[in-house]
Amino acid sequence: MTGGAYPRLEPEWVDEVLLSGADDQECLHLGEPITRARLRELVTERQSVLSGAGLRLGGSVALCLPPSVSFIANLLATWRIGAQASLLDHRLTPYEVNGALQRLLPQVVVSAERSTAAPLRGFAEVTESVRTYQGGPAGTSHAVIQLSSGSTGPSKIIARDAGNLVEEIQRYTQIDGVPRAGERIVCLASMVHVLGLVGGLLYGLHAGVSLTIPARMTADGILSAVGADARPTTLLGVPFHIELLAAVPEPPKFPQLTGMTTGGELVRGDVYTTFTDRYGVRLGNMYGMTEVGVIATDLFGRNRPAVLPAPGLSVREEAGELLVSLPESPYIGIKDPGRWSDGWLHTKDAGRVDSRTGLVTILGRLDSQVSVGGLKVDLTEVEQTLATLPGVAGAVVVHDSAIEAYLMLDGGTELSAIESQITVRLAGYKRPRMLHVVGQLPRTATGKLVRDRAVLRSTGPAAPAANGAESDRPG
Amino acid sequence: MSGEPQRSDIVAMLATYGERRPEQVPETISSLELAWLLHQIEQRYGELDIDDDMFVRMSTVTGAVEVLRDLNVGGSG
Repeated sequence: MTGGAYPRLEPEWVDEVLLSGADDQECLHLGEPITRARLRELVTERQSVLSGAGLRLGGSVALCLPPSVSFIANLLATWRIGAQASLLDHRLTPYEVNGALQRLLPQVVVSAERSTAAPLRGFAEVTESVRTYQGGPAGTSHAVIQLSSGSTGPSKIIARDAGNLVEEIQRYTQIDGVPRAGERIVCLASMVHVLGLVGGLLYGLHAGVSLTIPARMTADGILSAVGADARPTTLLGVPFHIELLAAVPEPPKFPQLTGMTTGGELVRGDVYTTFTDRYGVRLGNMYGMTEVGVIATDLFGRNRPAVLPAPGLSVREEAGELLVSLPESPYIGIKDPGRWSDGWLHTKDAGRVDSRTGLVTILGRLDSQVSVGGLKVDLTEVEQTLATLPGVAGAVVVHDSAIEAYLMLDGGTELSAIESQITVRLAGYKRPRMLHVVGQLPRTATGKLVRDRAVLRSTGPAAPAANGAESDRPG
Repeated sequence: MSGEPQRSDIVAMLATYGERRPEQVPETISSLELAWLLHQIEQRYGELDIDDDMFVRMSTVTGAVEVLRDLNVGGSG
């Protein structure tokens, strides 16, 4: 399948859409300013390395890198060669990365041999490892591949081609309230996921908005990054960042701060009010999906909690679910009309659309996906991972303030052994934060597993182990 | 809050994120919770100089208690 809905773009699109501009213009700031000229040099260097590893037009590379200049340069270099980039979150465990590579089969894999990545560091200095892999050229003409929640099992391969990315960048330019040329974005959102990738990095490069990543993702670190420069500045992040910043009792005044935009779940009303009062700026909301990018926005908070579809996109409601217009299926390897059919993508979000104003209100999730710190996790995939572990007789995974698992263990199985396996198979943000070992998982009259949290909480623990090991432990 | 932060103090500070009950706070501390905890600690005890290794150790409640003890947070002198 090749992209038919969008014209096939030649690799020159990278120079024309992302890298063009004055040589001395600052386009990035990761600890130090990086000009366009310097970014072009870095990209050219990476192209040389990737080409040396065998990457050509139509080839495929997997990037597994922390937020870094290295990630940005390798991504742009891949596209400038005319190859396809699969983005793997650097927090995935080796087990998950191997599983993903076996599905994606790239020709080249770029990962961090050494990096300064550490908790609460916004970006890292990276020494790359570039190795060949037993894959093949890209099977399609898509520019970027991402995996939905979970990198193994039933996760979906989501693909976007360059034309679709360029269309989204242009869509951003038409949204009222986005940062403009000469301004700054302080980006707290992951650049491997669509909000930080397109809304931050690609839009910023295109529009001449310098992208800053704070050295430290602490309240102080973020506010220092905002205050470090007098140019008009927008913060881009996820709802957690609002909660963190709203908790600063007397933040400094930042006349340069024009506003903040978050993606992901809606911020709670009291937090919204505290933040906007304390910082004296607007707090906007962006609704989107990996498959599409930005779908709808409310950058001035005027329509809260509703959002207005982005220019060029249509959103409609069918049987309580929101659908968004998309000319082609974004999925590789599956044909599921329940996901995409006839030019409409199923968001799996419950919602409604006001026929008069076009405003979209998102009401909740229709499937088992939850947001953990802005990152999407499918509880079904976590549950399936646990349920298939040796020693686990059954598992139910639920989400309240955090992901929790209720486990039935085979006789003689130590919980610590299960915990070790979980650490191998699931990245930190997907892991249950609490593990409850129960004697029996409650079932309905028809034998289905009960997922009601109150019922699960009242389920009796397993009989004490002979060695007195605890049956209920934080994960 | 005076004196060295105890385990219950750390749990109480973590519980303020998301308005959780103490028993809902897991032993592991996610990176977002760590940023929250650091903010809470610095509100109470003043600015701290915590390096990467210490942040790594603060991935659990137990680790956080130990790091703060090593830094003599809330201690005398």
